[in-house]
Amino acid sequence: MPSSPAPQVKAIGKDLVRFEDVALRYGAGPVVLGGVTFHLAPGSFHFLGGASGAGKSSLLSMIYLARRPSSGRIELFGRDVASLTRLDAAMMRRKIGVVFQDFRLLDHLTALENVALPLKVSGQRDEKVRRHVAELLAWVGLAEHLESYPPTLSGGQKQRVAIARAVVGRPSLLIADEPTGNVDDRMAVRLLYLFEELNKLGTTIVIATHNESLVARFNHPIVRLADGGVRVERAQTGAQTRPSKGSAA
Amino acid sequence: MLFRRSDVPLKGDASGRYLPWLAAVMVYLASLALVCALTMNRAITHWQEGLSGSLTIQIPHDADAAGAAGAPERLERVVALLMATPGVREAEVLEPAEIERLLRPWLGGAAGLDDLPVPQLVSVSFDPAAAPDVDKLAREVAGVAPGAVIDTHRAWLGKVRDLARSVQWVAVLVVALIGACAIAIVAFATRMGLSVHGNVIQLLHLIGARDSYVAGQFQAHALTFVLRGGIAGLVLAVGTVFLIGQGLRGSDVMLLPELTLQPLDWSALLLLPVFVALVAMLTARVTVMRTLGRMP
Ligand SMILES: Nc1ncnc2c1ncn2[C@@H]1O[C@H](COP(=O)(O)OP(=O)(O)OP(=O)(O)O)[C@@H](O)[C@H]1O
Ligand SMILES: [Mg+2]
Repeated sequence: MPSSPAPQVKAIGKDLVRFEDVALRYGAGPVVLGGVTFHLAPGSFHFLGGASGAGKSSLLSMIYLARRPSSGRIELFGRDVASLTRLDAAMMRRKIGVVFQDFRLLDHLTALENVALPLKVSGQRDEKVRRHVAELLAWVGLAEHLESYPPTLSGGQKQRVAIARAVVGRPSLLIADEPTGNVDDRMAVRLLYLFEELNKLGTTIVIATHNESLVARFNHPIVRLADGGVRVERAQTGAQTRPSKGSAA
Repeated sequence: MLFRRSDVPLKGDASGRYLPWLAAVMVYLASLALVCALTMNRAITHWQEGLSGSLTIQIPHDADAAGAAGAPERLERVVALLMATPGVREAEVLEPAEIERLLRPWLGGAAGLDDLPVPQLVSVSFDPAAAPDVDKLAREVAGVAPGAVIDTHRAWLGKVRDLARSVQWVAVLVVALIGACAIAIVAFATRMGLSVHGNVIQLLHLIGARDSYVAGQFQAHALTFVLRGGIAGLVLAVGTVFLIGQGLRGSDVMLLPELTLQPLDWSALLLLPVFVALVAMLTARVTVMRTLGRMP
């Protein structure tokens, strides 16, 4: 057996998320993201930083397959997303949990039903999951609100329902867009611990956040968006590990 | 419990409010048309059975006195000939009193039949299985009674049957048009639902729903709402048919058979709402799959 000649190449080939020179513009509008290149290894934990309007939500939406890039190439789980059929995309989304910045809970369903929805959608209709879902909601401090409807919940409570829904299916990749924007610092830290627990179980995590103190507190690399380009920083040192590959025109 | 509720809140939509009503009206009209078509079918067989084993011989009134005097013998010769014809079961001479009774409504009570050139009539019934050759019989009858005519009722029956058939085709066309309407309405309601709940459907997709999952929600909605309305429409239609049947019983409409349905007709009628609901379900599915399939 010949030994593997280029282990590094092999490692890159296994990346869970690969952006290669990705650009995005909405319709005929200005280029929101340009020349974005970065790779996320399986089991990694990254923060996504950048000023408001820098394009964090836009970048994440391409990872959870809500949007296709205007140019460039995105690979998820080793597959070029441009080649995915609708069915492939649905199957891939089941491996991706998303906490949306605007929650996107269904108002006519209870918190419990909202959280159980990804299981229902993927065909797990065993009533036994009810206990699992209820436990998860209890863990995020919503034991009293299992049967509450989203419009009757506070912003922070809705956010926690959204987080529970994102993690209920044990996704391989968890994407959270400002998941702690509406909760106090203590709850924010608690939720970050939840994400770290999932990360230890193997889930790859990307969290977009403005909260610099939270970023400082948890020792994870940062993908930083600035001037339409991207830069990956080590949290501890703040040192740049990958140069920006370009910027918006 | 946890998974029972629909994710797409279609119930509260305008489509949720109107679909049952539209289904009720459509199934009501289609049921009436279907009853009409089925009744016509029965009427045709009824008339055919009633007339296939019979014919009538008319012996015209002879104007000159000598001929008039020979009338009874002529009649006897015709009856004798008929009795000798194989297949004939019975030959009944209609008595002048009976003919008068039949004609009175047209002539008025005052007229005396003696003054009128009324033909003599012989009603013949024969074994439909061994029917005599009508042409040969006509020639023979004309031999013994010049001018006699055989009426097999075929021309009359043919006309009535044509009329019944056209009524039947119109009824079938009505059912088909109602079906087309149902498809158009459900397709429209489904498309409206897709756009009204676009954000919910996008979310379902983002958490991994396949198009067929989304279609399932619309299918279930179309099926239950159209079935509910359809059953109501059927109940109303059966009530209407019953009332019409009652009305006919009182009057003296001899031509129509009784407006009662056979078991087979009943099952066709009962299956109508189920059929319409299934068509609605299929329409919803095809509409959703096509619309979503066109998305990037
Ligand atoms: N649907 C859209 N159509 C057109 N332009 C959009 C759309 N969504 C976002 N944009 C634009 O893209 C740019 C980046 O927006 P995005 O929401 O990705 O920023 P963000 O980094 O998430 O900001 P924040 O931190 O405030 O959430 C903004 O200039 C915004 O106006
Ligand atoms: Mg954002």
